[in-house]
Amino acid sequence: MTSASQTVTRPAAMRGVCRSLLLTLPIALWTALMFSRVFLMPGRAMHIAAVVAAVFTVFLFFKMMQTGETHRWRRWFFAAVGWIFPVGFIASLIQLRGSMDIPIERMIGGDTPFCFMVTPMLMIPAALGKTLIFPGSILPTASNPHSIAVMIGLWLALSIVLGKGWCAYGCFFGGIEEGFAAFAKRPRIRKFDPRLRMIPWAVLLFVVLLSAAIYEPVYCMWLCPFKAVTEFPAVRSVETALQFVVFVALFAGLVVVLPFLTKKRTQCAFFCPFGAFQSIFNKVNIFEIRVNREKCKDCNVCSTVCPTQAISRESAKEGGALMNCMKCGACVDACKSKAAVWHIKGTGVDVKPERARLMFLYGAWAVATMFGGSILANGIATILHFMHVS
Amino acid sequence: MAASKAILGYTAAGLTMAAALLTPFLLMGTFSNAVAHAGLRVDEKYSGGAVVRTLDRASYKIEIHQPVRPRLLERGETFVQVSFAPAARLPAEVDEAVDLDGDGVPDVRLRFTATGTEETALKGDVTALNPTFVSFTSPASEGISRIVARVGDSVVVRVPRSEK
Repeated sequence: MTSASQTVTRPAAMRGVCRSLLLTLPIALWTALMFSRVFLMPGRAMHIAAVVAAVFTVFLFFKMMQTGETHRWRRWFFAAVGWIFPVGFIASLIQLRGSMDIPIERMIGGDTPFCFMVTPMLMIPAALGKTLIFPGSILPTASNPHSIAVMIGLWLALSIVLGKGWCAYGCFFGGIEEGFAAFAKRPRIRKFDPRLRMIPWAVLLFVVLLSAAIYEPVYCMWLCPFKAVTEFPAVRSVETALQFVVFVALFAGLVVVLPFLTKKRTQCAFFCPFGAFQSIFNKVNIFEIRVNREKCKDCNVCSTVCPTQAISRESAKEGGALMNCMKCGACVDACKSKAAVWHIKGTGVDVKPERARLMFLYGAWAVATMFGGSILANGIATILHFMHVS
Repeated sequence: MAASKAILGYTAAGLTMAAALLTPFLLMGTFSNAVAHAGLRVDEKYSGGAVVRTLDRASYKIEIHQPVRPRLLERGETFVQVSFAPAARLPAEVDEAVDLDGDGVPDVRLRFTATGTEETALKGDVTALNPTFVSFTSPASEGISRIVARVGDSVVVRVPRSEK
């Protein structure tokens, strides 16, 4: 993978191997604990997959500790989870029901796995009518372990730990476009109207209000690009055919082509209503990215490398990233003058930024390993099954 | 003041780290239980609505659900769900005249082949015996209110009501 931050000087290695290993030890132990459950499952493929996934995640954390860089290594994990997620998910759908589409009979049977993207659309009908406008089941069942209660519980816990960092450490959909963005050597489109940042908020408002009005999760039924690589309503009418065309077109445009042309996560930056919703959690999350105004040279590199346009020249001058910062660390890695720093709210701007980074990363990597690690292992196991390793 | 703010900041950061470690063991389960016990229910257009009457047959029973009506701006038509369970004990060909509104007079005749596999549309006919309900043939493409299908351990028939 190439990186936009490769155009600027990388920080020198900050730590020696021994110290980096020592700092990696807690995550290594945690990863071993998280993957220990996988070893209780039958099948050599799953065991191999778990070892590969565990070594991969621990190695990346070690490199974060050794180099002092975050985004460069996080991105490998995130893109791997994003690209492998559809492999495992589609394989399980094919195994369960023979195709990626979900027929209406399964919807009314409560067999639709819950997707966190629908959460904001559920809120008004749930608050006013105690009704969940999603065709899943509240409690897990044998045919649908990803029930509404389980997935909302997981999302809430991760949102508390990560804030909007969910979009950089938890969201497997974001990993798909981050992967496509990383393929291009240079961006072909460089300039964006700052007003484009407001689109996710507009989409959020639109889908939340319309969903509450018509009692349907509008984004999931009509606008989700990731339906193209997960599951979609079975095409049985002109309406469902049109939905499918919209899903594929949005996926091709926002997740494949535009990220490649811009080296940005265009779907996340300019469309995703769930990302906008997650931004609200940044207000309560204690970790943030700040810019030390005394050190800032106004070079605008931070804004250039940010994958979601979450920091601008103006916001940097005011001392920080915007509300939609997902704490990927790209700006901190790229800042030559070390003005962009990790920060714990309430502390001084330049007081031990590495301590702030470590405290955030331990929590973030712990939940990322728990959530993304299992996705990674499951996807690798599926690939091994295809290769007849069982 | 600055020192106490810093202490609060580091305390919150420590608590966030603790929350991360507690996520798989405590936090996620606690939140999931809270959602599960919040008194929420899945929208009736998916779940079929509450059962209002049960008719017993020799080897199976028929559950009549309350009518599910679209809300003000909601798409779709009013329907009544009828569930036949257990599916395994249904005859291969089911032919029943069913009273849906509880007035003692059959409203629809339901005929279907109950040999489909799980979660598939079944071949069948719904014939309205009065103008309150609408006839259709399954599989139908009109969506959520015209269904004859195997769902879990039952066969679900959704009969649309006439809008007139």
